[in-house]
Amino acid sequence: MYKREIPLLITFLSGMVAVLEYYFPTDATKNAFTVLKNWGIVIAAFALGFGAVNLFIVYGRRFRKAPNPVDRVFSIWLLVLLVITALVGVSLSSASDQYQWIYNSIYLPLGATMYASLCFYMTAGAYKVLRAKTLDSTLLLITAFLVILGNTPLSAAIWKGFFSWRMWIFDVIVSGAYRGIRIGVGIGSIVLGIRTLLGMETGYLGRR
Amino acid sequence: MVWLIPEGRLTPFITLILMWIITLISIYYGKKGKFSVRRIPGLDKIEEAVGRAVEMGKPIFDIIGMGSFTSVYAPQTVAGLSVLGYVSKLCAEKGAKLIAPQAAVDVMPVAVEIVRQSYAEAGKLDELDVDEQLPYLSGTQFAWASGIIGMAARLKPAANVMIGPFWAESMMFAETFARVGAYQVAGTARLYQLPFFAAVADYVLIGEEIFAADAYLTKDPVKIGSLFSQDVYKLIAILLSVIGAILSTAGVKVIVDVLSK
Repeated sequence: MYKREIPLLITFLSGMVAVLEYYFPTDATKNAFTVLKNWGIVIAAFALGFGAVNLFIVYGRRFRKAPNPVDRVFSIWLLVLLVITALVGVSLSSASDQYQWIYNSIYLPLGATMYASLCFYMTAGAYKVLRAKTLDSTLLLITAFLVILGNTPLSAAIWKGFFSWRMWIFDVIVSGAYRGIRIGVGIGSIVLGIRTLLGMETGYLGRR
Repeated sequence: MVWLIPEGRLTPFITLILMWIITLISIYYGKKGKFSVRRIPGLDKIEEAVGRAVEMGKPIFDIIGMGSFTSVYAPQTVAGLSVLGYVSKLCAEKGAKLIAPQAAVDVMPVAVEIVRQSYAEAGKLDELDVDEQLPYLSGTQFAWASGIIGMAARLKPAANVMIGPFWAESMMFAETFARVGAYQVAGTARLYQLPFFAAVADYVLIGEEIFAADAYLTKDPVKIGSLFSQDVYKLIAILLSVIGAILSTAGVKVIVDVLSK
């Protein structure tokens, strides 16, 4: 019972508080929802420790057992940086100069590098798709070509109509298709939510 | 009580109650076996992906995205977990090595429990190494992405199943796994990522198809019944769109007015 019925009851009550807070936003429902959100933050903080423990187990083991010395170096490097970042953040606060230096000088450039590499992935993906093999892919190629022309300043300088074509493709063709998918996604989410509140969807409990 | 409802939320509230009732009725008829589900090729191919991993002696990845239970993307995460349950069950039964890297600390314990249960049901719990097979990589988008890209490059998996909420990392994953020759089944309800999956993955689940995954894979009549209610709502949405467009064109705003109340 404590593994199934009680979690389902908690889910139902929590879900109903969220629903009531949205449709009947009184002080009572708002306060109850705020308390629930705060509990969620506290539980998530505990779960963060779970992730850190897993990192130590996996990379500690890899440091001890990895046959490749490079793997060992990277494993211990990850753990050292994890400890340093956590210590600086906890002892000096995340607003301190030292923590900000770690964030701005290490984390941000690495993140930006990864994000920038996305253009190469997208180019490789586009190369695979934009080939006129079938009618569908030919239409896709023509559409993509028109959108690219509409997005580049040079083509707009040659003929402003490219920009209008691009806008028409986005406003009519793309919007129509996206709205259809979006409505389906919204309906699917609501039905999943109803199933969850009714205790018929138990995937989030970790058992089927 | 109705006067407590703010402007613009009365119609959604009534709609929600009606949806609740219709869903319950659909579930009632679903239990009687009145409905069936159309084929979803992407979900059928998951078994083939696991079989490929067994034949090649290489691992299979199952990535559920970095969504949490407390965001608006929670339904997609739940859908991803449902598929993870199915994939892990197949892996445990057939003897494929499952790798499911984690990014959300609140979802990770649930994912671990699901996989552990699948292996326990197959009587192969001793073959599961949770720390190695479900490693926590990072809760930060590109740290997580680079971790998975590195794992894919080193392990060269036979297949990759990605179902859940994805952001900019979707294209990185899809392209990296394609480059190492992995067979891919991908699905998300994040609209901007769908084209990337469609471009590179072998099979794609579009939008709401990921929410149908659990019902489709488990053949649970309750869930199949609720799927029928989704079709009813879609039909109503189509009718409202068409009639609303015609009436609005004619200058009659009645549907717009009712929906905005």
